[in-house]
Amino acid sequence: MEGLFFNVNNGYIEGIVRGYRNGLLTSANYTNMTQCESIDDLKLQLGPAYGDFLASLPPNPSTSSLAAKTTDKLVSEFRYVRANAVGSLAKFMDYLTYGYMIDNVALLITGTLHERDTRELLERCHPLGWFETMPVLCVATNIEELYNSVLIETPLAPYFKGSLSHQDLDELNIEIVRNTLYKNYLEDFYHFVNADPDMAGTPTAEVMSEILEFEADRRAINITLNSFGTELSKADRKKLYPNFGLLYPEGTLMLSRADDFEGVRLAVEGVQDYKTFCEAAGLGGGPGGPGNMAGGTGSDGRSLEDMFYQKEMEISKMAFTRQFTYGIVYAWVKLREQEIRNITWIAECIAQNQKERINNYISVF
Amino acid sequence: MSGAADREAVFPTRQSLGLMKAKLKGAETGHSLLKRKSEALTKRFREITRRIDEAKRKMGRVMQIASLSLAEVTYAVGGNIGYQIQESAKSARFRIRAKQENVSGVLLPTFESYQTEGNNDFAMTGLGKGGQQVQRCRETYARAVEALVELASLQTAFVILDEVIKVVNRRVNAIEHVIIPRTENTIKYINSELDELDREEFYRLKKVANKKQRDTAAGDAEMKKKKEEQDKVDASGQENKEQEETGPTDILADAAAEDEDVIF
Repeated sequence: MEGLFFNVNNGYIEGIVRGYRNGLLTSANYTNMTQCESIDDLKLQLGPAYGDFLASLPPNPSTSSLAAKTTDKLVSEFRYVRANAVGSLAKFMDYLTYGYMIDNVALLITGTLHERDTRELLERCHPLGWFETMPVLCVATNIEELYNSVLIETPLAPYFKGSLSHQDLDELNIEIVRNTLYKNYLEDFYHFVNADPDMAGTPTAEVMSEILEFEADRRAINITLNSFGTELSKADRKKLYPNFGLLYPEGTLMLSRADDFEGVRLAVEGVQDYKTFCEAAGLGGGPGGPGNMAGGTGSDGRSLEDMFYQKEMEISKMAFTRQFTYGIVYAWVKLREQEIRNITWIAECIAQNQKERINNYISVF
Repeated sequence: MSGAADREAVFPTRQSLGLMKAKLKGAETGHSLLKRKSEALTKRFREITRRIDEAKRKMGRVMQIASLSLAEVTYAVGGNIGYQIQESAKSARFRIRAKQENVSGVLLPTFESYQTEGNNDFAMTGLGKGGQQVQRCRETYARAVEALVELASLQTAFVILDEVIKVVNRRVNAIEHVIIPRTENTIKYINSELDELDREEFYRLKKVANKKQRDTAAGDAEMKKKKEEQDKVDASGQENKEQEETGPTDILADAAAEDEDVIF
């Protein structure tokens, strides 16, 4: 049934996005890229996919400018799609940007807390998380004003309301604020895709639920792993776990009690994928713990985070097997982001002449 | 004689000769001491050069690893976290102490690094994703800074030692090539002057002796001549004047003798 009227409003967008997906770099492209000797070679290899955007780069550009230019392409394409989206798809895409918005607002909060000129920070904000009223936030000079303007001016108000007060912004670590917001955002997004009349019961809900559940689990596991050895208490940690996902509620409860990597492994044992990830990471990481991409100290086994990325990419890839769903927009953005990360990584490896780790990128096509 | 000009302005006396000899001895002792100091410093200097070389190579490796781990952070976090890190850092975690080391009288500063415990300002950065990479990156950079500090203390020592060695070598050379030859020249000069004086004195004495001899000889000759003349006169006038002369003479002599007697 959902397919009957989907194309009336969203067919064009779907077509465009599928076209963009075909523009993503494939394994063959990546293989060519890893053979490059210099950034210029890399630029040449990226020519077909990113031509116009890389044209303005000087010879041998820095990796950060390369990353900025590739992001520019994503942003401009996203804006084009967003401009053509109507109805619930438009809202869906707005939801997509909220995640970046949270990062930007967190950045501005940091700036305000340290009494910096927040206008300088606007350039550093992620362009996808840009909203019209963002410069207004820079007017605020103290945290209370900022809090009020965030509530009034941004779509993030519901995420602040109820869980954070302006005192909290002052007292809590900015990372806790950010993760609280993100948790609220994920829950809201999840609720949105499952409750909106246009999406409930459609492939969109199915695809997005899978992606968001995975995202929620990933955050829960990451927060747990990263909080070991910090002053984050277990009770506070529990508050940062999103209240849905494959691990919820037993897994998250166990995660909240975990003290070490072993505890995390036990907590996620109920889900086959995570279990295999943990086992692989546990074996690969050795006694050093979960062993995320070891900081140059050896250990070329894949880290847990790598595997999560890999899994996310696979889910995103699978989203394209479905038709009549908004999920492909989300999946396309994620795939594109990963592509930018891959390019940056390869460029870094080439720039630093560290070819042995160059194959650490994640390619799914 | 080139050394003639290059000597100290002293009067060539025995006293200044003694002074000069003492000075020469002092200069030689000083020279050997300074030479030894310079050698010790040079040894140290070479060692430091070697260690700087090592440290620089190590530095290259560590920095490479560190910047790669920063790339990893960028990859894992998927964005720029620099600002956040900058703002959340409140107090220094990595600190250095400066100490002084004494190498043959030269004070070399050495830096010792240490990390303050429990000062982890951005432990929660990247809590959602990439936190471990951030921590690991921090550790690698801490190692890099450690290498940097080591290198810095070596470099400082290098510069200071270089300066000191130059000064010491200059002194050694000055003593060896200026002070000692000059003192030797002075001694030689004093000696030669003294010899000259000696010779002069001798010659003078000889001259005086000669003259004296000559004078005596002349005196003798004159005396002789006089005597001869006298004798001749005496001999010629003896007959006619004998009576007259002897008479009054004897009288005079007698009178004088008598007078003396009278006076006493």
